Amino acid sequence: MHIRRYDGGYSRRHFLGQMLRGVLATGVLMPLYKAMAASGDITKAYPDELLSLDAYTHGKIKSGDLITADNVDLVADLMEPAKLYQVRKLGRQLKVVPTTTDVMRLSPWEYLEATFRNKGRARFDARGNVVNDDGKPWIGGSPFPDPQSALEVFAGQTMSWGRHDASLYAFKEYDLDPDGSLAYRYEGAWAELSPIARVSMDPKPYWPGHEDKLRYQSIVFTAPNDFLGTSYLNIWDYDQNTFPELYGYIPAFKRIRQFPTDQRFEPLVPGGSLYLSDAWAAGDPLHTWGNYTIVGRGPLLAGISGGWNPGHPNWEHSTHGGKDGQMFWDTEVELVPETIIVDAEPVKFPRAPVAKKRVWFDARTLLPVAMVSYDRRGDVFRSFDGAYGLYEAGEKSVMDGAHPYWSWGHVHAFDVQTGRMTRLEQVKEVSGGHQMLVNNPDTYERYLTKNALTRLARS
Amino acid sequence: MDLQSMKFAKSAVVAVIAAMSGNALADGGFGNLNFSGFLRFESAYKLGGDENPFNQGGNLFNGVAVERSGGIPPSEVGLFNDVETRQVAETDNDFNLMYVRGRLDLGYKISSNFNLIGSVRAIFDPVIYDEFNPRQVDSQACCNFYQEPNYFEYAIEGGGRANPMEWAGRDYMVDIPTLYVDYQNGPLLIRAGNQQIAWGQALFFRVLDVPNGLDFRRHSILDFASEEYSDKRVPALGLRVSYQLSESWELDSFAQKFQSTIYSNANTPYNVIASQFTVRDYYDDYSDKINYGARIRGSIGDFGVQAIYAYRYNPDGVFRWTKSDVNRGLPGELPNVIPGLTDNLGNILQGVVDLLGGSIPATGAILAQTPFEVDPTGVHSAEEWFTYAAMARLDAREGLNASIEDFPATALLLAQPVDSDEAARRELDLFFQLSGGLRGHIERQYFRERVFGLGTSYVVLGEPGSFLDQLIINLEATYVPDRKFTNITLGQKFIEHDEWTTALVMEKYHRFTQAFPATYFVFQYMHKSESDIFGRHLSGFGATPEESISTTGGIDHGSNYLVLAFQQPFPSLVWRADFAALYDAEGGLLLQPAVRWKPNGNFTVEAFYNYIDTVSGNPNSNALSSAEWADELALRVSYQF
Repeated sequence: MHIRRYDGGYSRRHFLGQMLRGVLATGVLMPLYKAMAASGDITKAYPDELLSLDAYTHGKIKSGDLITADNVDLVADLMEPAKLYQVRKLGRQLKVVPTTTDVMRLSPWEYLEATFRNKGRARFDARGNVVNDDGKPWIGGSPFPDPQSALEVFAGQTMSWGRHDASLYAFKEYDLDPDGSLAYRYEGAWAELSPIARVSMDPKPYWPGHEDKLRYQSIVFTAPNDFLGTSYLNIWDYDQNTFPELYGYIPAFKRIRQFPTDQRFEPLVPGGSLYLSDAWAAGDPLHTWGNYTIVGRGPLLAGISGGWNPGHPNWEHSTHGGKDGQMFWDTEVELVPETIIVDAEPVKFPRAPVAKKRVWFDARTLLPVAMVSYDRRGDVFRSFDGAYGLYEAGEKSVMDGAHPYWSWGHVHAFDVQTGRMTRLEQVKEVSGGHQMLVNNPDTYERYLTKNALTRLARS
Repeated sequence: MDLQSMKFAKSAVVAVIAAMSGNALADGGFGNLNFSGFLRFESAYKLGGDENPFNQGGNLFNGVAVERSGGIPPSEVGLFNDVETRQVAETDNDFNLMYVRGRLDLGYKISSNFNLIGSVRAIFDPVIYDEFNPRQVDSQACCNFYQEPNYFEYAIEGGGRANPMEWAGRDYMVDIPTLYVDYQNGPLLIRAGNQQIAWGQALFFRVLDVPNGLDFRRHSILDFASEEYSDKRVPALGLRVSYQLSESWELDSFAQKFQSTIYSNANTPYNVIASQFTVRDYYDDYSDKINYGARIRGSIGDFGVQAIYAYRYNPDGVFRWTKSDVNRGLPGELPNVIPGLTDNLGNILQGVVDLLGGSIPATGAILAQTPFEVDPTGVHSAEEWFTYAAMARLDAREGLNASIEDFPATALLLAQPVDSDEAARRELDLFFQLSGGLRGHIERQYFRERVFGLGTSYVVLGEPGSFLDQLIINLEATYVPDRKFTNITLGQKFIEHDEWTTALVMEKYHRFTQAFPATYFVFQYMHKSESDIFGRHLSGFGATPEESISTTGGIDHGSNYLVLAFQQPFPSLVWRADFAALYDAEGGLLLQPAVRWKPNGNFTVEAFYNYIDTVSGNPNSNALSSAEWADELALRVSYQF
């Protein structure tokens, strides 16, 4: 039982006061990191009003309720502007679920364990890259779990997108017109592999001979027909001041070619609203963006659990809204007690249509739970919000070694100015027989080499 | 294939595509089997009035009165003068192309290591064209496809199909461009079956892209430029083995059945071989040959490097005069197609025939031993001969001499080699006067060659947003020792020379405004030391209708080409504007502006304009003028499932 000795405005005053003093110390009642390290639970760090939407709204909205245009004003200050606009104007609905207090359910178990184990060992080297205390590449987990700056908040996310050593996400993409009609559909697989900071997959923490790389990442489209076999391979240098190498297979060229890689603000496919730069809210090398600034702190409604749909054999999700009921994913949101809001500017993209992006990070895990970008006039441009979760529900589960798989379930990428929506979902399998994989060493040979692109291609 | 079989094949293809598309729309696959495809309407509307001059219906001399002056070889003196008008009716087409294409792609995951990939391509051409009609001139031209035009079959000597994975008729073709099994085990990838193999970074310029020939039957080189040769490369049965040696180094090798480059048939829209020729393709003698090749690719420091070696039959082949084997004598009871010739030439030839113990029709037996065939679809005048020799990048005078010297039977017709253009004209006119038209028979042969290639690449890093930042520079080169080329005389001895091909490729994305996605640019330069972009030896470039190449001399400084292309997508990529320009330094220019519209996931519309012209110099000095007649607006509408 938590004693209610703080009034409803306490936490707001706390966050505001820290912002005014330029202090970043997560947790309200006690340091968040200390609470999590002690018990893996966050309840001692926050007052009741931040641990339950029921408490926050004084019972007006509680778990199991739907947030709609009719009641969204009660929680308007718990939403980023794009999501609020979608609920108010476009008929988006959000189902409320209880706040997750067990931090080990908020990211892969091994990643969190390494985060706690390695706390305090990360630093920036002379080029601004995160290194271990011995000067070598980072050894795993979130490097700055108790961040002191906006750059530290962003650095960990850029280093490990999916928080696994290797992932293959089978995905489906749906691109919708402003009226909600489905215009384009794509299927494919997205692969990520970390050669450093490995916490699950041998060899750990480094893959010998690959320590100068941060990430191997590829995407292959398996549908529709005109994109069949289209694939791109990004090889990220560990130095976050350089752009990745980009190789691609485009069906028209029938071969693997190298492509320029600095244009990252275009849709990947016709009709899409998703940019390469959007990936995990940190799709570009850390120092190609700059002026990282913490602009706010506070609670947020976000989908950090319930992102998996075990009710569908292929994990596909249900939708609502728009002309055909397909505009939005059915999304479960919960009150995230504390987010750190960070702005960043694309300093190495002088003609990018984006002037800045604003990302809400869950203070517990530094996981990005929402992103909004602004155009050069300062208007809201696009938004990116995902739903995560453990792939565990009752007796059903998807295992990642000894623990349930944790990952994203679905994503909205929304162009506020045109009204076009891109929905992405992680599914079990897509055409071509590509199935979700996690921490599987074969991911590299099967998806992340030029030879792999040759196989994935159709010639 | 008989009519019944053709109908069955067409019906089967339509039924399969329809059935599969219906199923695909329902669920896109069955477990480990998945499939997709498209149906596409393609057309090219003529904007200019020119017909393809290499076709009978577009022959530049149809209906044109031409003065002839025959003389006794090897004299330059004209003795027999007349005026000849080629009687083949001029065709008048609104469309260069119109057909429907379907494609079905299948994938079957056999296991985590094995995958089966296949595709079926089917095309039906309703033949709405104003076609050449051989009956209009009572043509009896021999051999495949020199009567009624045939749009898709590839005829080879000996009959049979050149490609075991293709079935075609006059107005349709069905083939299996892809059918292979992949086996992957770690860094090893083995691909066995029918497949395309493409190498190199250069686009359109085939420097390192040597494994496969091209198929020009489907819109020739004038298809949508942004698709490069994806629909043109001729797939072949073979084995490809790739091995990822390390993160940056990979080894790639192949052994593949030799498949030749396929040119459009005579009197079809994009034919490039003058239809007064009859091509005898001896591919069948090489159909069991195997091409081999290997490539290693990786990086050294900041430079990407690759090296290739191929031991292959040059798929383009080489051409030379060959016996016609057509026993058709000079027309008439006496070879006096012109009043006034009877007394003179007729008597002379009669004497020759008497010596043979035969009569006038026995000239057929002689002609059968020469490269010539009497037919009204042949050449009718020296002027036509010289004009078309220049257009075909051949030597009009020495071409005549080679047809005489390499075929002794021509002496029985009193043909003699000549040493001047004027004497050649007199001799040619004489025989055209006697024959009423002569077709030339040429054979196509293939030869092995060794291709050595190197390539390197470098990515320029500049100020963010600057024009040089992220510019990718590639340099590629190949060396082929003792490459064989068609002799510009069509003589039996082919031209043999080492050839260097080098290309510089620069490409980058550049964002000009915040409002539009980045523009993709490609700039390329290619130099070939011996031949043009299509492989024709440069010594045959530069002739005119008035002067043979023996008089003008050919090009001896190699060929040079520039490409500038860009793609400008619009926001959301629903629209895209493309532009491609190819410039031949000898004055040829090809421009292709295009627009692509993809309003939703199922439909795609592409429109592009092909403009080809000689902007400076002699048209017969640049490679592109061979398609200069094709001034067209192409439209493609695709529905994918």
